[in-house]
Amino acid sequence: MTPMLRKSLDVWHVIKSRYSIYFVLVVMFCMCALLNENFLSPRNLANISAQISVTTILAFGETLLIIGGMLDLSCGSVLAFAGLMSVYFFKLTGSLPLAFSIGLCFGMLWNLLNGILVRYFKAPPFIATLAILAMARGSALLFTKGRNIYQIGDFVWFGQGSIGFVPVPVIFMVLIAVITWYILHHTTFGRSLYAVGGNEEAARASGINVGRIQIGAYLINGAFVGLAGLLLMSRVNAGLPNAGIGYEFEALTAAIIGGTSFSGGIGTAGGTLAGAFIVGFLNNIMNLTGVDSYLQQVIKGAIIALAVIYDIRAKTKRSQKGLGGVEHQGETKTSA
Amino acid sequence: MNSFFKNIKGKCLVAAAACLMTASFAQAQNYKIAFIARAQADSFAAWLANGIEEEVAKYPDLSVDIMDSQADDMKENAFIENAIANNYDLIIVQPNNGEAQRPYIENVVKAGIPVIITNPRVKGIEGASTVDADPYEQAAVNARLALEQVPQNANAVVLLGPAGNMHADMRHESWKKEFFDKRPDVKIVGEQIAHWNKDEAMRYMEDWVQANDKIDVIVAMNDNMCAGALEVVKGNPKFANILSYGVDGTAEAVLLIKDGKMTATSLQNAYDLAAKNISVAHDILTGKAKQVDTDIDCPLITKDNVDQYIEIHKKAGAIQ
Repeated sequence: MTPMLRKSLDVWHVIKSRYSIYFVLVVMFCMCALLNENFLSPRNLANISAQISVTTILAFGETLLIIGGMLDLSCGSVLAFAGLMSVYFFKLTGSLPLAFSIGLCFGMLWNLLNGILVRYFKAPPFIATLAILAMARGSALLFTKGRNIYQIGDFVWFGQGSIGFVPVPVIFMVLIAVITWYILHHTTFGRSLYAVGGNEEAARASGINVGRIQIGAYLINGAFVGLAGLLLMSRVNAGLPNAGIGYEFEALTAAIIGGTSFSGGIGTAGGTLAGAFIVGFLNNIMNLTGVDSYLQQVIKGAIIALAVIYDIRAKTKRSQKGLGGVEHQGETKTSA
Repeated sequence: MNSFFKNIKGKCLVAAAACLMTASFAQAQNYKIAFIARAQADSFAAWLANGIEEEVAKYPDLSVDIMDSQADDMKENAFIENAIANNYDLIIVQPNNGEAQRPYIENVVKAGIPVIITNPRVKGIEGASTVDADPYEQAAVNARLALEQVPQNANAVVLLGPAGNMHADMRHESWKKEFFDKRPDVKIVGEQIAHWNKDEAMRYMEDWVQANDKIDVIVAMNDNMCAGALEVVKGNPKFANILSYGVDGTAEAVLLIKDGKMTATSLQNAYDLAAKNISVAHDILTGKAKQVDTDIDCPLITKDNVDQYIEIHKKAGAIQ
């Protein structure tokens, strides 16, 4: 093999490993476009983006936490509680900014509890957030006595309004994507998060305040969850105490498909966004083509498994070829 | 000495009176009921649990403990076992999955504790009482109206409840027999399970609206899903005349019917169901009845009679 050819192959491997998830996304997009003529319509693309906005915002929170070696199983329940509070205060005061702030505050409050349990009581994130999952859902049901809140008026703007032709939830989703990307790649906090998730002891030894990073990650996640809650309630035009059941798994799915590693220290905002769109495209095309409900679940599971296998294989090949060092910060762990 | 004996005598009399009073209080029975709810996160189940609590408050000789099975068969079965062990006077079970609870309900009967199965009923358990609404009829009243209202060669979308749920399956079967079998001209352009959820129904409807230029009718197995689908076509002139049918008669559905956005629903009144459950429970506990099987009505709600149902929800505080 000539050095020229070898160099070209190496470059190809780097591109393939770094952008494999985007490659999967593009292939899926093209296949969907071929399968149904309505897929490419601007309205349908706007719909897909709006449909995935809530779980994608949750997924960005999960991405931050997983990179830092943590996890949030409570986001579906906290979303319901924060969204309900937001709706309730809007009905009381008629103020959208207040309702918005309340949603974010309650999301952060529950996640402060998550952070305290993890940081100060050394509870494993899985257990701590499982406890908060039950508490937040129970509180939402207690507060409403299990009843839905209707007639929420102008509150629907958050979830159903649009600026120009872009739905408001999509604008929030993009905003959160940019914030996540910025936090991860342009702040000390983001770099510390990778370090803590990669090796907590080493991070502590290098002078990083691990506790501050963990609590900070949960608080940011809380703000994202609160936002997702008020977006969901306004999208469905009601305050639903039973909303968001199982959303934590949809959010985790998007993050994991997007290349975030459960072992911590690895993940990107772009990858998570791609992961969310892969799931969104899949759901959409199966509905457009009228695939049976039961079959949809089988296909979804199989395609998610294929996407993850492809991504892992691409990364393994890169790692074997010793090309990991050229990766950006979010993937340095594979080369370590 | 005399005063000492008088004092003792007085104290004995007071003690005897106190014993008699205690005994007479003990004779005024206070019956303990366990209500094992399917899932408080299910809005209808929560509505029913609230109704049960309110109804029990009307009977001075009844008290109730409500247990939330969180839509989990194992938890529900454990609650039933615990209720037997705790010697409740009567147990009301709202099954999560009838067949999964059947052996446990049979154990309640074997333990000699009266049991009522409600929403949905589990058939064929000797000695158990049942109070329910008829899911077939709930859908059928809508389907019969749809037979008259749905135009020829219409396109329909169908939103189903969870597979295996008795009410979801029976309502679906009812729509098939009472409407789709009789109207072969109507084409189903989309049919999905939305698990009773509004947000899931919205997602499906958003996709169906893209895939189909013409949707004439929404058939939903509950109001939540119907309202979700309507949320998508709200304000879209292409779907201004869309017909939509649900089941439950929720506060949201009656408001949509009042606004002319939804066509019809049938009432599954949780308050009626709660009132009937507690009245049957009281009759059984006081020996007036031994075993009862009864259904609540499922009246059709349309624009013509919606006002009276809005009043019901107003009284219950669900509509302000």
